Amino acid sequence: MKSDQFNYILKSAVAGSHEALEIILKMYEPLIHKHSMVNGKLDEDLRQYIMIHIALNISKFPL
Amino acid sequence: MKTAITESHDELRARFTAWLETTIYRARLKYIHKEERNIPTVSLESLSDSCLYTYDEPSSYSSTVSQFDFEEERLANAFANLPIKRQQILTMLFVEERKPEEIARILHCSAQHVYDQRYQALRKLRKALTEEDT
Repeated sequence: MKSDQFNYILKSAVAGSHEALEIILKMYEPLIHKHSMVNGKLDEDLRQYIMIHIALNISKFPL
Repeated sequence: MKTAITESHDELRARFTAWLETTIYRARLKYIHKEERNIPTVSLESLSDSCLYTYDEPSSYSSTVSQFDFEEERLANAFANLPIKRQQILTMLFVEERKPEEIARILHCSAQHVYDQRYQALRKLRKALTEEDT
C-alpha cells in the first residue's frame, strides 16, 4: 500500500469510518495475532479484546 | 517536494505503528489482569458437608485402618507445612504421575530444579514424621 493511500485510510479510520478501520485491522493482523498469544496458544478472547480496544481508541490517535 | 510529502506519510505510518503497538500492549495487560481477578472460586458455604469432611473415617474401622489414617493425617499436616511450590511439584509427581521434565516445562524451570525440590520436600516430610515419632 502506498503512503498517501495509507494516510487517507488512517485519517478515515480516525474520523470513524468502519471500512477504513477494517482495512487497518487487517493490515495489522500479524501484530494483533502476535500479542494474542498466551502460553504459546492463540487466545481468541484476547484477540477480540485487542481489536475492540483498537476500535474504541483509534479516534484518540493524534494525526 | 514530492519526496517531502512521502517522508511525512512514512513518518505518520511509523508513528501510527508505534502507537498501535503501545495500545495493543496496554490492552493485553488490562485483559490479563482482568482474567487473573476472575479466577473461578467456590465459596465454602456452597460446598456440601460431604466434600469438606472426606477424610473423617467412621469409628467402626479396624485398628489397622485407623492406624493408617493416623499416619495419613500426620503426613497431610507435614505436607501442608511445605511451601506451595513444593506441594505443587509433589502433587504433579506422585498424584498426576508427571515426569520431572514435563513439570519443569509447566513451571518454567529446569528439570534439575524439580529433582532438587522433590529431594528437599521428601527430606522435610521425613524429618517432620520422625520428629513426631520421638
